[in-house]
Formats: sequence, structure tokens, C-alpha cells
Amino acid sequence: MVDFSIILAGFSDAFTLFNLAFVLFGVVLGQFVGAVPGIGPIMAMAIAIPFTFGLDPLPAIAFLVGVNKGGLVGGAVPAVLMNTPGTPDAAATALDGNPLARQGKPLKATKMALFSSVTGDTFSDIVLITVSAPLAVLALKMGPIEVVALMIFAFSILAGLIGNSLTKGIIAAMLGLLVASVGQDPENYTPRLIFGYWDLFDGLPLPSVAIGMLAISEILHRLSEAHGNVRAAVSTEDTGNPDDKRVSWAEYWSCRYVMLRGATIGTILGALPGIGSTAAAFMSYAMTKAASKDPASFGKGNIQGIAASESANSAVVGANLIPLLTLGIPGSVGAALIISAFMIHGMQPGPLLFENQGRLVYGLFGAMLMANFVNLWVGQLGLRLWVKVVSAPESIIFSSALLLCFVGVAMATSGLFGVAIMLIFAVLGYLMASFGYSLVIFIIAFFLGPRFEKSIAQSLALTNGDLTQIFRSPVAVMLLLLSVASVVFFLRSNAQSEAR
Amino acid sequence: MNISADRASGVFFLLFGLAMYFAVNPNYIEAVESGNIAPRTLPDTVSIIIAICGAVLVIKPTDQRVRNPVLMAKTGFYIVLLSVGIYAMSWFGFEYVAPLLAFAIMWFIGERRPFWLGLGVVGMPLLIWYLVTQLLGRALP
Repeated sequence: MVDFSIILAGFSDAFTLFNLAFVLFGVVLGQFVGAVPGIGPIMAMAIAIPFTFGLDPLPAIAFLVGVNKGGLVGGAVPAVLMNTPGTPDAAATALDGNPLARQGKPLKATKMALFSSVTGDTFSDIVLITVSAPLAVLALKMGPIEVVALMIFAFSILAGLIGNSLTKGIIAAMLGLLVASVGQDPENYTPRLIFGYWDLFDGLPLPSVAIGMLAISEILHRLSEAHGNVRAAVSTEDTGNPDDKRVSWAEYWSCRYVMLRGATIGTILGALPGIGSTAAAFMSYAMTKAASKDPASFGKGNIQGIAASESANSAVVGANLIPLLTLGIPGSVGAALIISAFMIHGMQPGPLLFENQGRLVYGLFGAMLMANFVNLWVGQLGLRLWVKVVSAPESIIFSSALLLCFVGVAMATSGLFGVAIMLIFAVLGYLMASFGYSLVIFIIAFFLGPRFEKSIAQSLALTNGDLTQIFRSPVAVMLLLLSVASVVFFLRSNAQSEAR
Repeated sequence: MNISADRASGVFFLLFGLAMYFAVNPNYIEAVESGNIAPRTLPDTVSIIIAICGAVLVIKPTDQRVRNPVLMAKTGFYIVLLSVGIYAMSWFGFEYVAPLLAFAIMWFIGERRPFWLGLGVVGMPLLIWYLVTQLLGRALP
């Protein structure tokens, strides 16, 4: 148990003007890059890490946490205004945020996103600070069999929830798993489906696939519509009603249970490595829609939809640090970048971190809480400015975003080969979206694919290939039963909606 | 072009899944005797599921409508433009190709205002060059 004096010393280290300045800089940078489609906080963090070499560990990590948290708030701006999520996490926000913006209430939508994001983030940070070690131990108790069952459950839920067809959702998930199998197989390390391109031996690069499918494919779609027709990338009508430009306390309070549910889902999924904030956002959105008395209003500008997705995806950021700090396991790409920054600055994440560097850890917690307040403050002041970032003409936004994506992917993958892969996946993403296949499911399956296969291999090793031993794990059995139940539920729902 | 959109993609995925299972996976995945899970197991399973789902989609399509073919053709034009840009970058480098690529994209969108053209063609590539090479000390593609 960490001594209380160390906790206080850590917090007092964090609350200095020097650290505040780095948190502020990180949040501003994060919100800005999050607002520009195609860049996002992950790329910004990757670029920013070398800049932190000369800093002390606490301001360096606080700065990166600020970029990550700010990016989630900024990512909601293009999601709401352009229906182009600045980050994959904000994809669920676009479902209701964009229709609300089209009704002439872009500021209400972005402010609701800001408030619910900060609420969810603060909730998960408090959980992280108070119960990080016990929760991480619980997550550690999940063996490979439970992880496989959990992923099957996640796929079954996502395939049914996103899009209008369970069959298409399954195809998108399977395509993601197939693409994830390119490269060396996780058990024997032999090359698979690389077609003679040894650059693919380590698998298809995540930045190329994610940016190609989520950013470039959308830009291609928008370019074809804009062809020969210059206009602002965002055009929203002003209703003239001041209530449409703000979120009242009553509106915020009406979403309290939605945000609590979202923050809880985000915290639980964030503590489990590999699931990620995008899945949390969609799960929270779907549960809120299912629990609503007026589910038909979702997708048409319901602020509860925004609150559900933003509170969940932001809660993942804090919870991601639970397995990272106590077990040394990153739960997401952002956490993986933070873990690399930890190691650069001499911190070794793992069970001994709280004992050996407890003061620094609680300093980090203090910086995270500070970042939430700064996020709220910068968001309140900056939202109008970030709206302008995406309000420039489409010609400059799309040409600049394309060049930034080219450079960012080339830097992340060390060359133009990664850019070429990005373009291939942009075409695939465009075609999939044109025929109604979910890109989000594809990306999640692609991200989880290697871990999914590795967990299957570990499960088979543990059980000597005897799959009946799965029934000795009540958690796995429950998750698999839930998977079957969810598939049956979605099939029945589809049949009922077709009958109507 | 409503129901046929799903039938078309269903036929594609049916054939794609079968082609992966019978032709691609056997030829491009090495066979390994040892281990708990063969390298082909996951790709084969996934290919079969894709083929089955493709068949289901052919039999039971939704009312999915495909995007306007004219817009898709325009997208094809931009894909060709970007492909040429990437190819040119591999020969001449980002510094020389980026302004031309930005100009081409902005011009085809219909941008004719000198300020925005200048910002997109000169300002943005210059900013990227400064950020990457001067501030970060990294090489441009």
C-alpha cells in the first residue's frame, strides 16, 4: 500500500504552474489536431514524443496525456460538423452529432460532446486513482479462454449493432480478421499472405489501414461530391435561437444516467486491454438507444446519443492506464505510445511501479485531473475556433488533410510503401461504405485480430486442444451464451423490422 | 439499383471467400506441422464465413442503395490522381510533387481564388516541410 504522504507529495508535484503550462499546451495541441480530420491525437503523440526527451518525466507524460485527452474532445468537432470523425473514437458521436448540426445546432452538439467527454474522463480518472490495482488484478485473472470468449462477444454485439444488416456486419468483421492475418502468424512466425512483399512481414501497418479507411475514403467521397463546386467544408444554418448555441443545466442533468452508464462502460472496457474506446462508444450508444423511451429519435440529433458515446470513449483514456500502470500492458494505441514514453523517461510500468515511483505515479494522476479541467476550459474557449478550423473551404481542407495524411503515414511506416497501402485501403473503405459495410467493425476486428488468434492458440495449448474444457470457465461460458443470445436477438430484430 | 447492390456485393464476397479458401490461402500460406493452431486455420475459417455470408446476402438482400455511379467515377478519377502523386513522389520527392498535387486537387474541386490556392499550394506544403524537416529533423517521403 502506498503511503499517504507519497500520494500528497505526488499531487503537490503535479499542481505547479510549470506542469500546468505543459498540460495546457498538450490539451490545446490535442484539441487542434483532433479537430483536423486525418491527423488525430495518436499521430500527434507519436510526433510529440521526441520533443519530450529533454523534459523531466512528469511534465513530459502530463503533456502527452494532455494531447491524448484534448484529442478526444477535438475529434468530436469534425464528427459533428462534417460527419468525418477526427478520431475513430468519435465515429459514434457523429451518429447524432451531425444530424443536430444539420438542424442548425452545431455549438450545442459540440458543447454536449465536450461536457460529456470531460464528465466521462473525470469519472474514469477517479476510478483509476482509487481502485486501479484491484481492477487490474481482476483483468489479469482473465485467461486466454475468457479473452477469446470476450472478443467473440464483442464481435457479435458490434456486428449486430452497427449498420442495418447482421450479415454485412459479420462480413466486415471477418474481412478485418482476414486482413489482420497478413504477416507472420503469431505462433509459428511463418509468413502469411504477403505475396512476396517482405515489407508486409510484420503485418499491415495500423496507421495505413486506419487512416486509409477512416480518413482518406471519406475525403475521396467528399471530393467526388465537391468536384467543380467550391463551398465551405461545413455549412450549417444558424437558427438565431441562443438556446441552440448552448447546453443548459437541465439538458446536461437529463443525461446524467446516460453519462454514468457511458463512463462505466468506458472504464470497464478501458481496463481490459484491446477493446478500445471506439467499441466502448458504440456499446454505450447502443445501450442508451435500447434503454430509451424514444429510440427512433436516435440518429436524428438526440443529445443523449452524443452524451453516451463521448462519455464512454473519454472514460477509456483513464481506464487504459489501469493495466498499463499496474501490469505494463497497453490497452490501446495511445496507451502503447504512453508506455514507450514512460520507458524513455526511466519509468518501468508494472506491479512495482507504485512502490518504487509512487510519487511520480500520483503526480501523473494529479496531472490527469488537471488536464480534465483544462480540457473543459480550453474547449469552452476554443470550440468556436476549432469549428473555424474545419469551416475553411473544402478545397484547402481536403488538399491539406491529404498531404498531412501522406506525410504522417510515411513517417509512421517509414516510407511511401505505407502510403500506397493507405490508398489501397482508402479504395476498399470507399467501396465498403458505398455498399453499406461498416468500416468501424472492420477496423476493430483488424486491431483485435492478432490478439484474438494468439489467445485461441494459447487456449488450445492450455487445454491440449480439448475445447470441452471451455465449460470449466463460467465466465467464458457466460460470454459465449451472451454472444449466441445477441446474434439471435439481432436476427429477430432484423426480421421484425423487415416485417414492419 | 436498390436490391441488386446487396446481391452484387454478396456474389463478390461469395466468390472472394471461395477463391481465398481454395486458391490463395493454400498457395500463399506456408504449411506448418507443429503448433496448436495452423497458420491457415484462421484465414480459412474466416474465408468460409465470408463466402457463407455472401451467399446469405444474395438470397436475402437488404434495401441497400449504392452510391451514384457518376460520383463513383469521379472518385475513381481522384484515386488515379493520388496514385500518380504517390508514384511521382517515389521519383521526385514530396517537396516537388506535393504543391502540384495540392494544386491539381484544388483546381479540380473548382477552387480559383488566388488566396486559397496560394495557401494550399505554397503555404501548406511549406508548413509541412518546416514542421517535418526543420522542427522534427525527419525526412520527407
